[in-house]
Amino acid sequence: MAHALVAALLLCCGALPAHAAGDEAQVLVLYGLDPFIPSFLAMDKAMREDLVAATGGNVLLFDESLDSQRFSLETLEPELAALFGMKYQAQHIDVVVAVSRTALDFFERHGEQIWPGARVVYVGFLGYESRPSVLPPGASAVLSILDVAGTIDIARRIQPGARRIVVVSGTAEIDRTAEQQAREALAKRHERVPVEYLTGLPLPELVARVAAEPPDSTVLFLAQFRDRDGRPYGAMEAARAVINASRAPVYGAAEPFIGLGVAAGSVSSYETKGRLVGEQVRRALAGGPPDPRYTVLEAPNRCVVDARALKRWSLDAQRVPGDCEVRFADVPIWREYWRQIGLALAVILAEALLIGALLFQRRKRRFAEQAEHGLRFELAHANRLAVAGELTGAIAHEINQPLGAILSNADAGDLLLDSGKDERDKLRDIFADIRRDDLRASEVIRRLRGLLGRHIVEREEFDLNDVVDDLQSILHAEARRHGVAFDMQAAQEALPILGDRIQMQQVLINLVLNAMDAVGEVPELRRTVTVSLAKGDNGAVLAVRDRGQGIALGDQARLFDAFFSTKSNGMGLGLSITRTIVEAHGGRIWVESVPDEGTLFQAELPLAAANGASAPHLA
Amino acid sequence: MSTTPLIHVVDDDPSMRGALLRLLDAAGFDARGYSSTGEFLLHPLPERPGCLLLDLRLPGPSGLDLQAALQQRDIRLPIVFLSGHANVAASVRAMKAGAVDFLTKPVKRDVLLDAIGRALERDAMQRRAREEADLLRARFESLTERQRQVFERIVAGRLNKQIADDLGVAERTVKREREQVMVKLEASSAAELGRLAELLRHPAAG
Repeated sequence: MAHALVAALLLCCGALPAHAAGDEAQVLVLYGLDPFIPSFLAMDKAMREDLVAATGGNVLLFDESLDSQRFSLETLEPELAALFGMKYQAQHIDVVVAVSRTALDFFERHGEQIWPGARVVYVGFLGYESRPSVLPPGASAVLSILDVAGTIDIARRIQPGARRIVVVSGTAEIDRTAEQQAREALAKRHERVPVEYLTGLPLPELVARVAAEPPDSTVLFLAQFRDRDGRPYGAMEAARAVINASRAPVYGAAEPFIGLGVAAGSVSSYETKGRLVGEQVRRALAGGPPDPRYTVLEAPNRCVVDARALKRWSLDAQRVPGDCEVRFADVPIWREYWRQIGLALAVILAEALLIGALLFQRRKRRFAEQAEHGLRFELAHANRLAVAGELTGAIAHEINQPLGAILSNADAGDLLLDSGKDERDKLRDIFADIRRDDLRASEVIRRLRGLLGRHIVEREEFDLNDVVDDLQSILHAEARRHGVAFDMQAAQEALPILGDRIQMQQVLINLVLNAMDAVGEVPELRRTVTVSLAKGDNGAVLAVRDRGQGIALGDQARLFDAFFSTKSNGMGLGLSITRTIVEAHGGRIWVESVPDEGTLFQAELPLAAANGASAPHLA
Repeated sequence: MSTTPLIHVVDDDPSMRGALLRLLDAAGFDARGYSSTGEFLLHPLPERPGCLLLDLRLPGPSGLDLQAALQQRDIRLPIVFLSGHANVAASVRAMKAGAVDFLTKPVKRDVLLDAIGRALERDAMQRRAREEADLLRARFESLTERQRQVFERIVAGRLNKQIADDLGVAERTVKREREQVMVKLEASSAAELGRLAELLRHPAAG
């Protein structure tokens, strides 16, 4: 089964046999060192992008690594050569990209056997490795140059007052080559400040040594792939530790060190180098002898400065040479695009002004509305307090009644216990009554609590009949106090409305107290107030009727105006607030009055959506 | 006729009324409850010592109205008022009209029983005075026409001789009738006769 699958794969994707590859370009990248060194990665990426873009994806890339930095090529070379020979026996290679001198040397020794007919593009790092005296036939080279001299020059310009120069490098071959560059460059400059070379120090010692360096020194980090004990290092490992530990500014000549935190350096861009390599590979693929003008290309060096590092080491940005590229700076966008930004800002400002003006107008209106709303809320609260004040006597009565009963029951219980007789049944009755009266008192408070506090207006569904039940006892007590015959009936059916229950209590109390006032002066037989709730055509109808003296026709129209009152001690708020509340609930209120006959107030409130209409009335 | 005092409780609130009746019962009194003024008046009042525990505010006629009605009918049952809340005007009116006390609910046991005790004391005193007066009246009824004439003149401060002249009888006759009056009214002096006369005129005084 697995066999069949492999066979099928081979059949359908027949690219594997070299000679069946058609006109696809076959390129091998041979790394002399660890291919995952950041600068190699950057370069590799740029090269591949260039090749893929230029060939329309019609390129097949292979990678091999000698990793001579970490493994001894001298002992492994025969075996590696044999291995590659077997690997590439059936795989034709058009171009070998030899990255580093080690790879180029390996190609010169074994290339003809392993990759017959392949042309070579050498990617070199002058300064880290020596320049080959002769290139193989048909070869071309892309070189970057370790510019230690340029980097020292930049360091001296940024930090002219430095008292010492410290050069850090390792013991690997390329470390030593780089150090040699530095020695030559510094000798040429005839520096008067002392120079110290820290060569191949193990990392802890190196870090301690660098950390002890005063801030007015200049540290030049070259490379450390290996220390004097033979311990290998990752490409960035030592650099990172030195940069982090140093109180003195650190400079470096390789591009990846810039982002790592060195202050500045003369570096060549590996991205540029990668594109140049891609270009050379394409020339080689095209065949024919290499154009002598392009046989050796040098990736240019340029000064790059890290703005964050300048800040960290308090270096004077004014001293940075004018041709340096400043990376990681805070404000370059503004400098670069000031025209566009200025225009955008102007547009935004204009829009903001317009929006601001509109918002200001809206706010003004909102404030006015809020002020009015707040005032009405305050008035409603004041009216509720006034109403509660009027009802104090009735409330006290309704609470004292059960409290009195509780006390007397408890006293009776005491006496029964003192009598020494077994009166358990009587005591049980007493406890039952005490409990009932206690609930009754707390019920009075519960039902009226909302009236007394400053409450947040709610919007919930409730049965208007509940409001009548809430106030039944208290309004009856009040009626007794006024010597008024009072009758209040809830409706037979449920009257669900949407709104605030406390406000509806307020409406009912206002209307009933008004009615009781209205019958205050009439003969005793006519002192009646009747309240009824019913379901009308357009919703719930609350009717409050009195047999008082009636309201003069001229006054009826103004009855609901604020501060209009027919009473000598009236504030003229009750009916105004009542109407406000009723209208806030989507209802209306009106009055019919016949002088010397009586008055009928009716409030009509819309019922809540159908779901409540069929609910049973449980009151 | 029972001598256990009977307390009448008029309160429209059933639980309050029930609690009061229960407390009075436990305190050793007989107690009877009424929910309104009308109910109390419709009930025949037994001839027993007692008092009235009366709620101020009642449906229909109030406690004060009942107090006035009882006074009109000369029913002198002492009244302790119980009010749902302090009401100065009503308490002044009630006390002026002769209430024993004016209490506010909720009322402490000691305060209530003390007020009821005082009401019963007053009731007993009134009863005693009334009995005395009744006895005196019975004795007075037993006097002859002539003896009554003599009695009236004695308490008016006239001498035997003057009385004899007034009535056109002998002074000796006056003396004999005077002795009879003293015996029948169980008095020992003219001064005591004067006090009895006062009692006959105002039976409840004292």
